[in-house]
Amino acid sequence: MQREWELFYRKFITYNGYENVLNGLWITVQIAVLGLIIGILIGMVIAVIKMIPKNKTAPKVFSFICDIYIGFFRGTPIVVQLLIGYFVLMPALGLNLPNVAVAIAVFGMNSGAYVSEIMRSGIQAVDPGQLEAARALGLNYPTSMIKVVIPQAVKNIMPTLGNEFISLIKETSVVSFIAIVDLTKAFRQIGDSNYEYIIPYLMLAAVYLVIVYIISQLVKLLERRLKKVDRNS
Amino acid sequence: MIEIVNLTKQYGDHVVLNNISATIADGEKVAIVGPSGGGKSTLLRCLNCMEEPTSGEVYFDGKLVSGLAPYLHDELIVASKTFKKVFAELSLENPAMSEEDAKAAAIFKIKAEKLLRKNEGSAFKKEFSRIEKEIAIDLNIARRDIGMVFQHFNLFNNLTVMENLTLAPVHLKLKTKEEAEAKAMELLHRIGLYDKKDAYPSTLSGGQKQRIAIIRALAMNPKVMLFDEPTSALDPEMVGEVLDLIKQLADEGMTMVIVTHEMGFAREVATRMLFVADGDIRESAPPAEFFDDPKHPRLKEFLSKVIKN
Repeated sequence: MQREWELFYRKFITYNGYENVLNGLWITVQIAVLGLIIGILIGMVIAVIKMIPKNKTAPKVFSFICDIYIGFFRGTPIVVQLLIGYFVLMPALGLNLPNVAVAIAVFGMNSGAYVSEIMRSGIQAVDPGQLEAARALGLNYPTSMIKVVIPQAVKNIMPTLGNEFISLIKETSVVSFIAIVDLTKAFRQIGDSNYEYIIPYLMLAAVYLVIVYIISQLVKLLERRLKKVDRNS
Repeated sequence: MIEIVNLTKQYGDHVVLNNISATIADGEKVAIVGPSGGGKSTLLRCLNCMEEPTSGEVYFDGKLVSGLAPYLHDELIVASKTFKKVFAELSLENPAMSEEDAKAAAIFKIKAEKLLRKNEGSAFKKEFSRIEKEIAIDLNIARRDIGMVFQHFNLFNNLTVMENLTLAPVHLKLKTKEEAEAKAMELLHRIGLYDKKDAYPSTLSGGQKQRIAIIRALAMNPKVMLFDEPTSALDPEMVGEVLDLIKQLADEGMTMVIVTHEMGFAREVATRMLFVADGDIRESAPPAEFFDDPKHPRLKEFLSKVIKN
């Protein structure tokens, strides 16, 4: 083990490998955080569209489009979505985005498909009387949802969203498929430099574990605070 | 103030309200009583279209608030393709009949047999939107003038009492934030809950919640108030404070429709009682006559069960 540690130390500290790792960590966090934000926005829109009463044609069409969207993003692996985004869609649309931006967009859209279901169950858990009371005052459907129903739904789904964020962080480990040096890739490069992978990969796992632990603690804290608000307010 | 015409409400095959017509005049206090499942809450909820009628129409202040029911408008039926067909058939069968009579007979037949189909041609469509434009008002606008109080209060849980009271008036631009808050404070003072203005609904008792729900409706300066079993979800000791507030409003001349099980209260406050059972209005009478001299056997049976002494 002595030799492995020495090789790792030399690459990591003496040859500034840690800079790469920190950059990789930053990119991982960026993709996960921005991906989640985009996912929440997309998820909210889809959830609301799917919950509009379907007595007219327009909501039916929109809802159908949402079904296709969800079907695609839940029915194909995230790696395939990344590859299609980067190697198919970008050239086809004539875009030239940085690959991190593509990854953020793909993870955002992917998580939107999952968040929409979380949001929908969160909205359905809100007492229908809340919407009725808002509508009875003359507020229209979108306003009633935005001012009354969605804030309560968001509170309901906070813990589940936290878990979504955790799985997002872990899923980003595949972005090296489109040549992004994230946390995983940074450690792999250290291993590649001297064909010694034991320490780098164990370290990699440890770093993910620590990140996930921190986030899950934050989620727990949040959950406890939300419950407290419920009791006191 | 409110008029319902040939209103039917069905859930699937289950008929909750069967072809009801009624009028609620300005200043009236109408109490709706009846057995559970008889359709009284549904009737109330149709008045502001919280439940969309299956057929029939609801008018508020002379304006149509529900969907347009084609069978209630002869001039619309006349514009339909079906009318042309039926009219031609009838004229052919009875050559002696005058054109006026054939027309009347065709309209009658279409109404009786509900012959209108989904697509009745462009003339029908045009006439439909013309009538709609002439008599209908946007439901959301009408609802501003129709206050509603629910059995389960339905205060907005994510907002403070003050925000509950000001959300709609401010958002609908009926009042500025300052005006709405001044009005809310006045109303809170009136019910003695001024100190709760920054509290969230979850900290209030049922009676407090319901009184705040009532002033939330009042903050819109409604022309009529609908109460859907306002005391049914309350602890017995809190029923009094809510009924007192409703009674005050009645004394001030507010037009109101109340679905209730509180017979004593209904008798005291109402100017007219409606007995709704089995999807129909079985009796409509002033309280004295309603309680002391009931006509309909179903009502007699109901009263004998409800009033024990």
